Amino acid sequence: MKTKDISSPIMVKGNLVENINLNTSYYKMRIKAPQITRKAKPGQFVVLSTWKTKDPFLKRPFSFYKIEPNTGTFDILYKVIGKGTQIMANSKVGDLVELIGPLGNGFNIPDNINNIAVVARGIGIAPLMPLILESKRREIGVYAFLSAQTDNLFLYNNEIELISKKVFYTTDDGSKGARGIVTNFLEKVLREEVIDVVYVCGSKRLTRHIRDLQRKYNFLAFVSLEEHMACGIGACKGCVHKTKNGYRRVCKEGPVFPVEELIFNE
Amino acid sequence: MNKEVNLEVDLGPLHLKNPIMPASGTFDIKCTLLNEKQLNKLGAIVPKSIAFKKREGNPGPRICETDCGLLNAVGVPSKGVEYFVKEELPLLEKANNIIIVSLVGNRIEDFCNLAEYLNKIKAISALEINLSCPNLNNGMPFGVNKEKLYELIFNIKRNTSKPIIAKLSPNVSDIKEMALIAKNAGADILTIANTLMGMAIDIDKHIPKLGNKIGGLSGPAIRPIVVRMIWEVAQSVDIPIIGVGGIYSAEDAIEMILAGASAVQIGSANFINPYVMLEAIEGIRQYLINKRYNSIKEIVGLVKV
Repeated sequence: MKTKDISSPIMVKGNLVENINLNTSYYKMRIKAPQITRKAKPGQFVVLSTWKTKDPFLKRPFSFYKIEPNTGTFDILYKVIGKGTQIMANSKVGDLVELIGPLGNGFNIPDNINNIAVVARGIGIAPLMPLILESKRREIGVYAFLSAQTDNLFLYNNEIELISKKVFYTTDDGSKGARGIVTNFLEKVLREEVIDVVYVCGSKRLTRHIRDLQRKYNFLAFVSLEEHMACGIGACKGCVHKTKNGYRRVCKEGPVFPVEELIFNE
Repeated sequence: MNKEVNLEVDLGPLHLKNPIMPASGTFDIKCTLLNEKQLNKLGAIVPKSIAFKKREGNPGPRICETDCGLLNAVGVPSKGVEYFVKEELPLLEKANNIIIVSLVGNRIEDFCNLAEYLNKIKAISALEINLSCPNLNNGMPFGVNKEKLYELIFNIKRNTSKPIIAKLSPNVSDIKEMALIAKNAGADILTIANTLMGMAIDIDKHIPKLGNKIGGLSGPAIRPIVVRMIWEVAQSVDIPIIGVGGIYSAEDAIEMILAGASAVQIGSANFINPYVMLEAIEGIRQYLINKRYNSIKEIVGLVKV
């Protein structure tokens, strides 16, 4: 058998060091787990549980929102939608978090590029944040296109404004930015600027729009997908998405896929 | 407290160093956190079911969590037997001395072709027949139809000299009857059981939560049903039983052994704790020491009724 390389996932117990309610049902959790943080790359994720019960049963997958190797901590963003996330919301500083990670392939940022665009819907900003920070570090220009139901569902957009060349907003109710589809802004920018790569997360509809624009303007585009998972390590074959090459595991071959490889309407 | 206890079990012609192995479909030699040394501690390894030719599996969503359990309709994707023998078997061979290969197919010929193909391969210790696959003729799983069950096991047996393990479906009214049919058809060992058919519905969208609409329920929710089935079959059929369904700890494994299983498989719990099988082996060892048994064989079917 192949020796385990450094990028292999590990299971560890981390410590909850911060659990903040951002607004309504959105939270940010900070977890100290140096062994995982050291290996983590933008776009990768962990599966975790803060419970020891059989109900909820499975660990839940969350993308890295911030990766801080210096402090050995990473952040995740989550929305309370079920039993697992409700228990997480009630978890306290000092609680143990059982983790498996880092998992998945992560984002690839090509060399020698000038500008990227990130397109996020709601909490879809989570996996894109480390990518934005890494791009900033490499002096790559970031155009951010953010979409949400309503104004207060933009998470940490002030921080994104500080590090991006430009941020465009759309909301469903018109409470911030324009009403409508955020990719309309992207199309305007694509006509005026050279965007080397577009990264998208948070909505299948947005991803389809990116695909349409890609056909017209010909750029690299990657999407981070979300899917129900059981194991997170590729064993159960439960989290597949249809692609031009057949079903692919979101946890193993993904969660980041080239947009043009995906087939959406099954 | 350092007394040695014997965890070795005999499953008909198979001799295992302990009773713990993964349930098919929950373990992938290419995606495991266990290293070679840890894999070698298992009683056996059961890789995911293989088909003769490549099959894609079901459309998503393939899984959904339910109370104390997991509903899945993965649909047994397989890269086919050639890929398995070339790419996976060499890794499995290094990892453990007992490899039980689980077979799927939709026609009796599919199973027979597989059995014949694998018969000459020394590293394979036994064949486990996944009887929950739908039969192409009537769409019903082989394991719920008495005639088809007999015909399938009987024909596979004719195509191999390896021990046959019939993995019975729990979706029947009388598991004892199916167990006896499997034995009479030539099965050497029984695996009891498989997932129970279930369904979950999204009440906002009014659609099934699984792409395949219905799926198989596993996890702690089904364990009492399986314990009852093992106990019933152990009373009436005299071939060894491998218990599977909802084991989450050494205690759960011991319960099934007391009901009559000689060995057990751990499935969904691997998804939550990749080390659960190793922990179960140690837990069973401790139990035997604490209860002053010398061998695990002493507690098989020991439940007093």
